Amino acid sequence: MDNLPEDLPADLNLMEMRPKIIGARVQRVEDPRLLTGTGQYTADIKLPNMAHLAFRRSEMAHATIDNIDVSAALAVPGVIAVYTAEDFYGQITPPRAESKTEGFHSTPILPLADGKVRHVGEVVVAVVAESRYIAEDAAEHIEIDFTPLPVIADPREAVKNEVLLHDDAGTNVLVDRTFGRGEVDDAFSQAAHIVGGDFRTTRKTASPIEARAAVCEWDRGRRTLTLWSATQVPGVIRDTIGDVFGLSGSHVRVIAPDVGGGFGCKTCLYPEEMVACAAAIKLGQPVKWVSDRMEDLVGTNQAFDEYVHAELAVDAEGHILGLRADVVGDSGAYSIYPWTAALEPVQVISFLPGPYRMPAYAARTRAVATPKTPLGAYRGIGRPTATFVMERLVDLAARAAGIDPVEMRRRNLVQPHEFPYRTGSGLVWDRVGFIESLDAVTDSIGYDDLRAEQLKMREAGRKVGLGVVCYAELGGIGSRIAVAPGMPINTGVETANIRIDATGAITANFGTASNGQGLETTLAQVVAEELGCRVEDVEIRHGDTSLMAHGSGSYASRSAVLAGGAATVSAREVRANVLKVAAMIMEVAESDIDMVGSRIYVPGTDREMTLKQVAHTYYQEMGRLPKEVREEVPLESTRSFDPYLGTAACASHAALVEVDPVTWGVKILKYAAAEDCGRIINPDVADGQMRGGIAQGVGVALLEEIIHDEDGQILTASLVDYVLPSAVEVPIMDVMHVESENPDNGTGFRGLGEGGIIGAPAAIANAIADALDIDIREIPITPEKLFRQTGN
Amino acid sequence: MKPPPFTYVAATSVAEAVAALAAHDGEAKVIAGGQSLVPMLNFRLLAPAALVDINGIRELDFVDATADGGLRIGALTRHYTLLTSPDVAERFPVLGEAMRHVAHLAIRNRGTIGGSLSHADPAAELPMMVTLLDATLTVAGPGGERQLAAADFFDGALTTVLAEDELLTTITLPPLPQPHGWGFHEFAQRAGDFALAAAAVVLTADDGAAANVRLAVMGVDENPSRIAAAEAALVGQPVSDDTIAAAAAAVREAVDPPEDLHGSATYRRHLVGGLVERAIRDAWARATGNAGGAA
Ligand SMILES: Cc1cc2nc3c(=O)[nH]c(=O)nc-3n(C[C@H](O)[C@H](O)[C@H](O)COP(=O)(O)OP(=O)(O)OC[C@H]3O[C@@H](n4cnc5c(N)ncnc54)[C@H](O)[C@@H]3O)c2cc1C
Repeated sequence: MDNLPEDLPADLNLMEMRPKIIGARVQRVEDPRLLTGTGQYTADIKLPNMAHLAFRRSEMAHATIDNIDVSAALAVPGVIAVYTAEDFYGQITPPRAESKTEGFHSTPILPLADGKVRHVGEVVVAVVAESRYIAEDAAEHIEIDFTPLPVIADPREAVKNEVLLHDDAGTNVLVDRTFGRGEVDDAFSQAAHIVGGDFRTTRKTASPIEARAAVCEWDRGRRTLTLWSATQVPGVIRDTIGDVFGLSGSHVRVIAPDVGGGFGCKTCLYPEEMVACAAAIKLGQPVKWVSDRMEDLVGTNQAFDEYVHAELAVDAEGHILGLRADVVGDSGAYSIYPWTAALEPVQVISFLPGPYRMPAYAARTRAVATPKTPLGAYRGIGRPTATFVMERLVDLAARAAGIDPVEMRRRNLVQPHEFPYRTGSGLVWDRVGFIESLDAVTDSIGYDDLRAEQLKMREAGRKVGLGVVCYAELGGIGSRIAVAPGMPINTGVETANIRIDATGAITANFGTASNGQGLETTLAQVVAEELGCRVEDVEIRHGDTSLMAHGSGSYASRSAVLAGGAATVSAREVRANVLKVAAMIMEVAESDIDMVGSRIYVPGTDREMTLKQVAHTYYQEMGRLPKEVREEVPLESTRSFDPYLGTAACASHAALVEVDPVTWGVKILKYAAAEDCGRIINPDVADGQMRGGIAQGVGVALLEEIIHDEDGQILTASLVDYVLPSAVEVPIMDVMHVESENPDNGTGFRGLGEGGIIGAPAAIANAIADALDIDIREIPITPEKLFRQTGN
Repeated sequence: MKPPPFTYVAATSVAEAVAALAAHDGEAKVIAGGQSLVPMLNFRLLAPAALVDINGIRELDFVDATADGGLRIGALTRHYTLLTSPDVAERFPVLGEAMRHVAHLAIRNRGTIGGSLSHADPAAELPMMVTLLDATLTVAGPGGERQLAAADFFDGALTTVLAEDELLTTITLPPLPQPHGWGFHEFAQRAGDFALAAAAVVLTADDGAAANVRLAVMGVDENPSRIAAAEAALVGQPVSDDTIAAAAAAVREAVDPPEDLHGSATYRRHLVGGLVERAIRDAWARATGNAGGAA
């Protein structure tokens, strides 16, 4: 206890004097490795005799495959094998994500297109060669005869089922769900103002810096498959690959090494992973596939892409009476594994009512198959669209009712005394800082002064606008709430295994997988605080299925809550056992000792032991402890944590923008966001999550759009045309964390990882609408669109 | 995104490079900074039999201030060198400003003026600058050297009059009247991207009237161009809201903008007119000593 005075009063509550580790700005422990180029990503893995995989992908959106001639490819020197769909018959059982969702139709995930292609970029032929260069050369020599099939690229047309993408599904509408409560028609008939109409969020892609990658090795002797994959969900991949290849889980090991961003797009099982495994097994030689950016833009699951018709009814004072919505989501060609096509469009209507009191709600959503890259998960999933639409509606209603938009929100936000609040879609908000975050953000930008300043700037001819938005999300979701009912995996639980080994070192194993968000640091902080050691004493291991019996990975703002919860209960158990053992060694009562900074001591005396000494005595000194202690008091604990429900998290964002009436370019002059993520583990990491999310939200709002033509051809096939924000376009932002009342979920943590991208598009859209006195119905908001919309 | 196979020739002199190009019968490509060529190879849009690397030709990397007040620039001069050259800043400040809009630092460290001109992207700043500044381009081929006016060098989008065995070696900028006013405005959705449109103006104020007017635009046609009608609208009178409007109208009338994902022809036509107005205002303010008001 270096930092405590020596003459401590004996009755001092030492728990309170302990240096706080949770909540401290601990430097990220993974950064030295990642920033000095000594991290190891999947592409860095090199194995002896490793072969390289490249794909020939479909140039057609929808066509039958009549013939594939691979002879010229096979003749290229250095080519090892060329595979088409038939080569995997009997070897691969294509997985299907099933769901009990009403009106749900599943589709298989195929390793290679079989008989027909369903989107541009679908994998058709796999080439294995001595180098990626040779594999790409050979792929060019493959001749595929296609017969084009009709392409219905617009999901609003595809619902008519005039052309089916999956004959066995019998429909293009893979999901059709309705939510509601209250008398919506009454609400609308009593309304003083009804606002709304058609909204559109176009297709996006997550674009992590590290695109997907897989290296697979098959140990013929042990019949064991090892797959290194740039994935967020190694546990899900292990479980599925086992079934796909008929191998038991003990013979499949999936490792997610350092992963350079995921943002949700690495939470699915992909065809390329199956093909890499199948090829490695067939050839008995390791096989590597590293996606290039072109492949990423056509082969990695995409996001957003909804048509939303929504209307809001309010009374004369601006109180919300009711909301109705009809959503058509463009699911692309396949229902993804394991999340299904329900994921994105169902979230839109789940979250549409937002943090507001909503007496009546009726919504329908459909997930519609079209010949495009499948829609998957991307940070925020559905909620950026929900928030964009709802926050536009609230601004429109405020304008119609002649009420200031911030005042409008204050009138309608669920108030502190109303928690827990069941939303129109059935979600439950526990006590969270809706009002507190709105107050924090409006204070930080000086809302009233800024409005006055805005008036002056507008009088001077400047097109300046202010947008303020609120949203709520559910994070850290337990087993009570499935992403899709009957979904094949349990997302509601995580497990920690913490142990002290014979050297006194502390290892904490988890079923999560970091993709750069700082989990090694935040989990170490939780373990250190609860166990009584220093952050640097804890080695966090995850992203390797050999560590844990089960674990679904890192996504959905869940890791801090679920793995953090598991770390808490597990670390407490290890601590109790360490103290029990140490008390026995030191011959004092357990209640008389404490552990801080890996030192066990008797307060008020000079008696202390290091954790290393305790571990040495426990493991190595025969006869020192009764045998029952070693048998029954392990210095190890494996505990799972299931928060059962979820916990709300929320934020308010504010943007001040200026539009240039010559170029119609948008500049963000000011940006502020205040969020409530409950008890904060590490303010720097929390800040980083917000800032990164907001940066992506800027792209969503102003720049990013995957564009297909009516033949289903992708026109944005490189990062020249799919425009991501760079540092220059991302504003300087003021990020604040408010803690209202911490949730009673075992840790006080709420989910945080997705928030930034949920609020930013709506805030920017509202600010632009305010600047130009126009309505904004579609994102991204490009100069071209503003030019046209302002009557040019 | 791996290039198809090619052989590689490292040239150390202009003669060697020209010989290597000639030896490959039109199947070889020069590689300078590689910033445009390598992406095209990786996309497999090009499959040259050989690459002739000119990075080892030291004699092509120079910026010389000439006695007449102009500049001679070697084709291998990097964008970063032009951006930071005191001679460029002093003699051709409009060029210095334009360079700030070319790509990003990492690309500017490799990309070359010769590469940019030979690549002839319709929205690249350097082709526009040599057009605006009436540069003379020196080209070496198997038969010796020839000189071309910048206006004659470009031959449509991504096309020049260079023969397959020719190398662009030197860019000569004739002097500008000193003092002069200049203006440069461009718009891209994202910093460092190729512009949706840009406008550049150089002029002098002679007894209160605009003179020596040069006005060029890019991104709104297959190649950058000077707009004679717009220049004429400004010459011989003080710059005013009316003459500015007339010049902008002349530009909008003269151009034939492309349509792509990032902007329609109508929008680009509107945009370039607005940028022209801003560039003229800045140039006039600088020429008349009111540069404080210029952006
Ligand atoms: C992300 C990105 C953004 C960019 N943004 C911009 C921008 O905003 N504005 C802009 O102007 N440019 C931009 N560029 C292009 C950049 O400026 C390139 O450097 C330039 O276009 C080509 O120069 P280089 O030296 O790299 O040529 P290379 O790529 O090596 O060659 C380009 C072409 O020119 C030929 N060539 C090169 N040198 C000669 C020569 N001396 N004689 C004959 N032929 C030759 C080559 O054979 C090839 O066909 C951008 C590039 C990237 C990658």
